[in-house]
Amino acid sequence: MAPALVFVAVFVLAPLGQLVAMSLTDRSLLGGGKFVGFENYLRIWRDSGFWRALLFTGKYTLVLTPILMGLGFALALLTVDNTPLKRITRTIVFLPVVIGLSSSSLLWFWLLDEQVGLFNKLLVDLHLIREPIVWFVTADLAFWAVVISITWKVVGFGMVLFVSGIQSINPDILEAAVMDGAGYWSRVRLIILPLSRRVLLLTTLVSAIGSILAFDQFYIMTSGGPRGQTFTAVYWIYQNSFVSFRLGYGAALSIVLTLIILIFSTTQIAIAARTAET
Amino acid sequence: MFKRLAFCALASALAGPVFAAPALADTMTMWVRASGANAAAHLVDLWNSTHPDKIELTTIPDNEMVTKLATGVQAGEVPDLVSFDLIYMPDFMKAGFLVDLTADLKANPNYASVAQAYKDIATYEGKLYGAGFTPDVSILVWNKDLFKKAGLDPEKPPRTISEIHEDAKKIRALGAEIYGFYFSGACPGCNIFTTSPMMVAAGSKILPANGADDALTGDGVRQVLETFKEMWSEGLVPKSAQADNGANFTAMFKTGKIGIQGTGGFLLSELKHDVPDLNFGVTFLPGVQEGQVSSFVGGDVVAIPVGSKHVPLAKQFIAWELTDEAQLDGLAKNNILPSRPALADNKYFAADPRVVVTAKALGVGYVPWVYHFADMVNSDSSPWINMLQRAIFDGDVDGAIKEGREKMKAIAAE
Repeated sequence: MAPALVFVAVFVLAPLGQLVAMSLTDRSLLGGGKFVGFENYLRIWRDSGFWRALLFTGKYTLVLTPILMGLGFALALLTVDNTPLKRITRTIVFLPVVIGLSSSSLLWFWLLDEQVGLFNKLLVDLHLIREPIVWFVTADLAFWAVVISITWKVVGFGMVLFVSGIQSINPDILEAAVMDGAGYWSRVRLIILPLSRRVLLLTTLVSAIGSILAFDQFYIMTSGGPRGQTFTAVYWIYQNSFVSFRLGYGAALSIVLTLIILIFSTTQIAIAARTAET
Repeated sequence: MFKRLAFCALASALAGPVFAAPALADTMTMWVRASGANAAAHLVDLWNSTHPDKIELTTIPDNEMVTKLATGVQAGEVPDLVSFDLIYMPDFMKAGFLVDLTADLKANPNYASVAQAYKDIATYEGKLYGAGFTPDVSILVWNKDLFKKAGLDPEKPPRTISEIHEDAKKIRALGAEIYGFYFSGACPGCNIFTTSPMMVAAGSKILPANGADDALTGDGVRQVLETFKEMWSEGLVPKSAQADNGANFTAMFKTGKIGIQGTGGFLLSELKHDVPDLNFGVTFLPGVQEGQVSSFVGGDVVAIPVGSKHVPLAKQFIAWELTDEAQLDGLAKNNILPSRPALADNKYFAADPRVVVTAKALGVGYVPWVYHFADMVNSDSSPWINMLQRAIFDGDVDGAIKEGREKMKAIAAE
């Protein structure tokens, strides 16, 4: 227990304490920094850029999480048996997970390029569109471009978690259901889904927190544009801390975001626990 | 007696290496941002091959340089020399990160002929803190083959922004995939580099130095934005320009389907290497009236961070890099511009007049001396890029200028 406490104290509590202290100063990346009380926190209220970024992050999380959950669960159902073909399919779907997020974002940035991008070429060849789409020209298109790239990148992670969850269900229960005449979808709905609730909760948490902390994909693919409409909360913190040199303000923004994630996670766990009891 | 002999023996043994051996050569450390690393390596290699004291060069990713230098200075862990984007000079000088070089540079005869923009950007409260190192500068390039096909004189580049517009119309008429003009519409850095000099050439001032200073003054800003807006709405610019965050800044002209574009001197060697058959010309970025020209002087400056362990030697290096030898054999020989425009006509550039024009552009160029440059310009949410996009793509030129002016002044007042 004691080593774990030391670890938490040194690597979590001490930096967090420093962050809180820094958030109460006007410290710049170039040095200096005097105590300003809660001025940075008051400034956050007035910072429309931050609220816009937070709203955008919320939209991104709300759209992406169900896609990742639904698709991950569907893929898990399709590949849950341990036949060679399904194992290979799982491996292929999981492969993008081990690529770095920056690399995959760069890959998709060029795949979606209107001049040389293969994605546009594919859509044109399939006669789905008449001429290449300029993907990053509007906020909506840019948003969907990122959603497509991230779905490709991380859907395999959810799938593997769901597969392990489904495989851990006692086969006797499923067999008994078959004996009782339950069809495939009944088994999925009434047995597999309820018994995968823990995995479902874990996957939702991981996907949602990952989405709330989104940065790399937007930094590389949209640069926050067009017109700053695709800044995420973390990207806004980065902008303030390292582009505008406002470390103190960046620290205050980080604290606010940490609190938001804390509230979100606690609520989600509480709801899940209550559902489990009923 | 024995003790005294033993002491003398010990003393001579200890003193021997100090007094008898020749002085040991020193090794200096130098940080350079990635964009300037190639050019800096040529100079450092030349120094290392001609001097007993050596320099070890470390490349720092561009967007980590400010953080690394700032934390380094505060922790006392700095290199002996540093080469960084000149635009950060005001912030670094104000923060007290750099060693005062006033006496050394003023006594240096070569310093007098360094491009004025480098002198301006390295001056803070009357003192000098750095020198031009590996320059870059913006220019206008035009595709001579397309000019010829469009019935234009391929040897006569546009001399005003109106001429750019007129020439672009004729080139656009050549075909569906041929465009008259290109600019990266979502790239703040590309546009301060290539679009702002057109405004400056027309007499405008872009950025405020402080809250009381004016921003976006003069009619040049409006006239350039109007012209760009018209070229955009007339379809003379590819649609992809609106979303280009700089990724296609150099790629588009290489396709041979763009008639005219503002770009950087660095593109010359790229074009010659990647598309040797592309027949292009180089000229100064024009303003509204004939004769008005300007450029944005960019690239790296070299300075000595406070805490450097080899200040006298580092000063020697800075003095050396301004000599004819370093400027010509270290830079010009490797197709890099010297920071002294007077050396533009040299034996290495003689074969290609386009390089000479580029080197001379340094002499007519400007660089804004402002704090918070990243906030005002380079940031993806900056008032500069917002103004350009609102004016050109939404068509609201006056509203865009008004909003840009207010936001720039608010940032400058911080």
